[in-house]
Amino acid sequence: MRQFLVRRAFRAVAALWGISTIVFVVMRLSGDPVPLMLPPDAPASEIFRVRAELGLDQPLYIQYLVYFGNLARGDLGRSIHMRQPAMQIAAERLPATLELALGAFFLAVVVAIPAGLVSAARRNSIWDNLAMGLALIGQSAPTFYIGIMLILVMGLQLRLFPISGRGQGTWLELGDWPTMLSHMTLPAITLGAFTMASIARLTRSAVLEVMRQDFIRTARAKGLSELFVLVRHNLKNAAIPIVTIMGLQLGTLLGGAVVTETVFSWPGIGRLAIQSIFNRDYPVVQSAVVLVASFFVLVNFLVDLAYGWLDPRIRYA
Amino acid sequence: MLKRQSAAHWAAGGAAIVALMLAACQPAPATPAKPTEAPKPAAPAASPAASPGASPAASPSPAAAAGPQPAAKVLQSGVATTKAPANKRDLVVATAADVTDFDPHMSTAINNITISFQIFDNLTTRDPDLNLIPQLATEWKSTGDLTWEFKLRPNVKWHNGDPLTARDVKFSIERTYDPEAKTQVATVFTTIDKIDAPNDTTVVFTTKKPDPLLPARLGFYGGQIIPEKYFKEVGADQFNRKPVGSGVVKFVEWVKDDHLTLEANKDYWGGAPDFDRAIFKPIPEPAARVAALMAGEADIILKVPSDQVDRLNQSDKARAEGAFYAGLYVLAVNSKAPPLDNAKIKQALSFATDRDAIVKSLWRGQGIVPNGFVSKGDTVGYDPNRPPLAYNLDRAKQLLQEGGYKNEPIIIESTQGQLQNDRQMAEAIIEMWKKAGINAQMEIIEASVRAQKVTQKTFKGLWWSDPTSTLQDPDGMMYRLLGPGGSQDYWRDPEGWDKLGDQARFSLDQKLRDENYKKMQDIMMVNFPWVPIVQPIESYGVAKYLNWRPNPNQLFQLRKEVLTFSR
Repeated sequence: MRQFLVRRAFRAVAALWGISTIVFVVMRLSGDPVPLMLPPDAPASEIFRVRAELGLDQPLYIQYLVYFGNLARGDLGRSIHMRQPAMQIAAERLPATLELALGAFFLAVVVAIPAGLVSAARRNSIWDNLAMGLALIGQSAPTFYIGIMLILVMGLQLRLFPISGRGQGTWLELGDWPTMLSHMTLPAITLGAFTMASIARLTRSAVLEVMRQDFIRTARAKGLSELFVLVRHNLKNAAIPIVTIMGLQLGTLLGGAVVTETVFSWPGIGRLAIQSIFNRDYPVVQSAVVLVASFFVLVNFLVDLAYGWLDPRIRYA
Repeated sequence: MLKRQSAAHWAAGGAAIVALMLAACQPAPATPAKPTEAPKPAAPAASPAASPGASPAASPSPAAAAGPQPAAKVLQSGVATTKAPANKRDLVVATAADVTDFDPHMSTAINNITISFQIFDNLTTRDPDLNLIPQLATEWKSTGDLTWEFKLRPNVKWHNGDPLTARDVKFSIERTYDPEAKTQVATVFTTIDKIDAPNDTTVVFTTKKPDPLLPARLGFYGGQIIPEKYFKEVGADQFNRKPVGSGVVKFVEWVKDDHLTLEANKDYWGGAPDFDRAIFKPIPEPAARVAALMAGEADIILKVPSDQVDRLNQSDKARAEGAFYAGLYVLAVNSKAPPLDNAKIKQALSFATDRDAIVKSLWRGQGIVPNGFVSKGDTVGYDPNRPPLAYNLDRAKQLLQEGGYKNEPIIIESTQGQLQNDRQMAEAIIEMWKKAGINAQMEIIEASVRAQKVTQKTFKGLWWSDPTSTLQDPDGMMYRLLGPGGSQDYWRDPEGWDKLGDQARFSLDQKLRDENYKKMQDIMMVNFPWVPIVQPIESYGVAKYLNWRPNPNQLFQLRKEVLTFSR
């Protein structure tokens, strides 16, 4: 187990290093932040001055060494546009994204697993067709379309939920939680739609797979109730692929909230990242990517641990 | 069996899709259901800015109120069940992009000056009819060829209670061009030689050359006055975080990308505004912005795309208000890159462009065809008698032949979404030019690449530019960009255009300036350093219960003269 942990930690660091290097190079090759900051009629001397001030006049490898030296000390630099520590800016936005991602994830799991189970148990029934039809929409409709449709129908026409912003306060403060919940509903559905659909479809096929196994027949033959067979004997054995996709999807939810955050004006890290990319605010992009990537790595690690709990045959050696 | 199963799948899925789409279509029918409410096409003769109540939707038509549409009923019954806005006296403004800087000298971006013009006052400002009016200054006069004297409003206080004096004015304007301060507005007041503050309410500007536009310059970006004492106490960083001004609202709180809260300045010299708090919320997605207005989550929304204007005017909750963009959308030309160094080819490009079609189809009538190189609304140089730029395919073909065009590629480097309709217009223009026999091509570039090309002057052919007439004068638009050393300096005419421009820029004789700019336009009609395409109308969405007129030159204003609630 210890060896496993050490190996995983090493791999995590390598992954983060690779990601930040790619972001570093790609960002710098793709454009210069300085002309975007200054008025269009700024003289060339002004541009050179600002560029030198930001250290962008150095050769790329020098910039990389400086960046990496600072990174090793946990310093990701100051935002070019907002003139504050970049990591602080990115970290301030993380709770909003986490909140939304976890909300979407919770919603997805709570809806998708029962839906998948019902679909499998009552195969080819109207419920199966309805659930899988909806899953097809969830997986194929683009996020922005789902978001706008929810805004128009649930927000504007039915007036059920607010349509933009996060509301005041945060979950940590546990302030006005009904308001927060209502603000979160539409973005969480939008963000979770794809995940919900893929988990539901996968649950259905994994459960159907297990349903044909001998031990299910044995369980039924002993006179266990159908529900018990389904949840205890079937679902637990079908869980490995479901947990895998859940882990992958949680990572996607964290990083893939860009469109949802834009449509619903959610002040999360995805929107920050996209704005910073347009502004070529290198330090903020790097901080945001490192943060999200760290979470991705952490979630994958937790998924690996979950395998052992679900299937005792798996050993971490 | 398998076939039947998948058929059932599709049926269920299809039913769900259709249901979703039907539901979505109800609140905003794609086809205008009520011709009675069709908004007027923007008649070029009548400026929408000049007619506050002229918008047909402004007066609720009885037909709309008694509309038989079920959708309208749902909307109304929905209102009754949801709670009323938390505070009747909150004004919520939904913007397209969040503010980034509060220090008014650190940015000229529209999202920032929209805010800084509320927190800070200038010496002068503009009313919605574009007249230069007093703000912190009560009067001003030129006391010689090189001096301007401004009298300040007495007893004005900063938001922290300190008195505002002539020394603050001297400090603020000197800061803009102080190399140590590293401001983003260092190029605004280059004509100033020195500033004196002989007493608390008098400021005397001495210029290096006669500067006819100094009062206008002081009314736009760079001219916001900041408090010397507070600024020196807290330093530039803290001032940017917690700005103190003398404007109509005070800074309260800012949560980036979430909300900015401003409080009404009850002691404002011009009277308190008609709200208690102004809350600015960035909602980047245009459709979501429109929905927020209709759902009552916002009272004013900025940057309404032209295809949403009808939708707003058809609703019973809001209306669209338009104001001419104080500037033009043009294709700027690299006149050094062959074959664009040939004036005849550039004339052909202009004749081959069907601007009417662009205004009608892409802008849905929310714009006019320019009649030259000066935007409608400028105080000098604009000639209302000039006909709109013409579309004449035969003339274009003839000019190409005369110019010896040999099918060289002519490239438009277009951004996408940087300006409204930029890519769509470029695509349309490429097709129009192909009809004239021009080998026209389009390349999409991103905003930061475009900015780089602006500074390095490496455009291949033509590119989008939206020159803003910042001073309501061709000097602030045409000459600033196209003049020697300007960012679009690709074409020179030292004895003609350059000389006229230089003369106009340093003359206090408005008649001579007007004539010079008209002559300069005649020269440009031959040489086309720009191919002007459209002068758009900038649209805003305004809640029905709000009386508000947008200002044509991006000077967003919330003063009580401009904004009142009627609920």
